[in-house]
Formats: sequence, structure tokens, C-alpha cells
Amino acid sequence: MQRRNLAVLVKLWALGCTILGISLTADAVWTFVLTVTGLAYLAFQRNFRLLCSMGVFYGLLTLLLYLIQYHGLHMVVFSEFYVLMFWNLSAVFIVGFDLITTPPGELAAFLSRIHTPTPVILGLLVMFRFFPTMKAEFKSVGRSMRNRGLTAPAWLLLHPVSSCEYVLVPMLLRCLQIADQLSVSAVARGAEHPGRRGSYYEKRTSIIDWCWLFVWAAVTGLFLWIGDVRV
Amino acid sequence: MNKTNKLSVKDVVTTVLLTVLMIFIQLAVNMICMTNDFVSMVLSVGFTMLLCAPVYFLMVSRVHKRFVTLIYMTILGLVFMIMGNWYLLPYYMAVGTICEIILWRNGWESKKKMTAAWTVSSLLYNGVNLLPIWFFWDTYEAFALSSGMEQSYIDSFVQYYTSAGWLVFIILFTVGCGFVGSLIGGRLIHKHFKKAGVL
Repeated sequence: MQRRNLAVLVKLWALGCTILGISLTADAVWTFVLTVTGLAYLAFQRNFRLLCSMGVFYGLLTLLLYLIQYHGLHMVVFSEFYVLMFWNLSAVFIVGFDLITTPPGELAAFLSRIHTPTPVILGLLVMFRFFPTMKAEFKSVGRSMRNRGLTAPAWLLLHPVSSCEYVLVPMLLRCLQIADQLSVSAVARGAEHPGRRGSYYEKRTSIIDWCWLFVWAAVTGLFLWIGDVRV
Repeated sequence: MNKTNKLSVKDVVTTVLLTVLMIFIQLAVNMICMTNDFVSMVLSVGFTMLLCAPVYFLMVSRVHKRFVTLIYMTILGLVFMIMGNWYLLPYYMAVGTICEIILWRNGWESKKKMTAAWTVSSLLYNGVNLLPIWFFWDTYEAFALSSGMEQSYIDSFVQYYTSAGWLVFIILFTVGCGFVGSLIGGRLIHKHFKKAGVL
């Protein structure tokens, strides 16, 4: 089933609402209201892949939180503080990942329409593409190190500084190469042109988008009213 | 050729890419250090500054213009704001401004100025732990208790960040790591990146 992307305006509004709600709430437990709305928002957009992964992630955090609070579970490698923090921030992660996976052309067209400066648009697009790009590069560095026998536990323990250098230097060199390639590509596509940017996939805000804008505003308002506000 | 101080597309892309890499390193170090209270509360900031120093040096040397540190600190502050600590955004912007003042007169060409800027930012980075204690302790404690965290964890946090001895140790350790990281960063830049012709 094809994804039904909502307008970028709705996605930014949803992110703003969740950040505002989480920053101002006095009761962290009530953040599940925002998270459940976020999951419904993903389901509406038929973003089932993200819905499944975030659903499992949130379920796991809920289970851990339950065990910590009611059965005295003590975390050995991951602090209880961070379990609640991630649980609390789940709504931001959900709408944030949804925004990140929006087609870059749609995002750039919307930001250009609202007169966002070009460096900010470029910065955001680069930031959103960082994780998939770096994941591939990191794997490549790992494979090269394994070929040279530099990933053996004994080597890593005996030569931590050299190991750091072997990972960091190629990663940084690749970062610079990627930055060059991206900037050449952006300039070739007219990034330095002062006019408004458009996209073949640019969408107009429909009645459904306005409904979701209202839903996010109402849910955040209700959430802050129930959960109380801290200043 | 006349070189302006306006950031080009390449400068923006490089700054953002390396900034995100530094933030990713910071989050990864924090996650790994969580295994132990002492390492997490006392040493993790120092380790972060040590590992990020080469990336910072490369970023400033490569872009070779003003406002790179301010952009990095602003993005870092925005990440903390998304995590619910809105007060860290103006704080990090202020730290970025201080670093920009240090680097104002072609600081990217001087290893000493870059070392001074990173060492000062290492000192001020401790605000991430100190500001909640000084200004938002009630909120922090309520959040920690509601997460099911043991009172002993909260007590050790208070002990490390309110006792003068520990505070001095944490600050010295962080500043020392930032300084050593800067020296390593300077050497790595010379050893690898200048030779590779990317600077």
C-alpha cells in the first residue's frame, strides 16, 4: 500500500506540538497521550514500517518502566532515568522520524515557500540524510578493519587509541568527501539561485491536513491541561 | 581571489555534517558511560570533549570562516531543547558566542586559538549537568524519582555536583580532556588531513 504523506506544514506543526508538550508538562506519565496520537498519525499516513518499529520500541520501554516501577528492576547497562526519558520523548521520535523520511524535494519546496534562508534548508536536508549515509560508511570502515584483522577484541583492548584513530580518520575523510559531493550536487541543482525553489511533488494543503493540524493542537492543549504545566 | 566571510553551500554542508557527527559521538559516549554512576557523572563529559576535539578542529580548519562554532553550539542547544531542556539553547548559544570571540581574528589559522576555544567550551559544557541542579532541581528530582530511579543515584548526583572537591575535580578533568583532545586534534589534522590535501 502506497504511503499517504501529509503536508510538510502538518509534520512541522506536529513536531512543534510534541516538543512544546514534552517541554512544558509537569507529569511525564501523561506523555502516552501524545505518543498514541503519534502512532495513529503514522497509521493514517500508512507509514506501517515506522509504525511497527516505533510500536515495538515504545512497548519495550513501557514494559521496562513497568518492571522498574512495580517490580524494582534495576538496570545494569542502561539507567532507569533514560528509560523514562526515552519513553517520555517517544512522541518526538515518532513525528521526528516521520519528518526525516519525507521526500527532500517536498520539504525544500515548503521551506522555500515560507521564505526560509537557503543555508537553513540545506542544513536541514543534510541533517536528515546523515544517519542513512553514515550507517553505510561505518559498515564500510568496519569491513576494512576486519579484513586487516583490526577488530579482534584483544587488539581493541590493547590498542584503544590506535583503534579510535583507525575509525575516526577514514570516517572524517569520508564526511568531507560526502560534503563535497552533496554541495556540488546542490549547486548543480540551483541551490545558490536566489529565487523560490519548487518541486514536482509539491503538495497543496488539503482539508485532511487542516484536520490533522487541529487534532495536534487540540491533543497538545488537552494534554497540558490534564497533565499540568511546569514553568 | 577575494574571499568573503559569507558561508557557501559547501561550508554549510560541511558544518552541519560534522556537527551532527559530533552530537552523535556525544550521545554514544553518554550511552556507553551509563553503565557506571561514577563514569557517567564525573568522567563522561571529559571523554566526550576528548573524542570530539579532532572533529571540531577539522570543521573549523576546513570551513575557515566565522560563526562555525556558533552554528555547532546552536544545533547542540536545539537538540537539548528537543529533549525538553529549553534553557540549554540560549546557554549553548552564549558559549558559541564566547568561542567566536576567541576565534574572531582568523582564529581558524591558529592552533592556539582553536585550542583555547575548545578548552573554554569544554569548561562551559559542564553547564549541561550544573544548570539543572542550580536552577531546575525540583523538576529534575521529580523526573528522576518518577522514573523509578533509586535515591542512591540521585544522592550521588547531588554529591558529585554540589561538593566543592568533586566539582573542582570534574571541571579540571573536563578542561584537561578538552585540552589534550585539542592537542591530539591538531596533530591528527597535520598527520592525515593536510597530507591528504583536504585542508
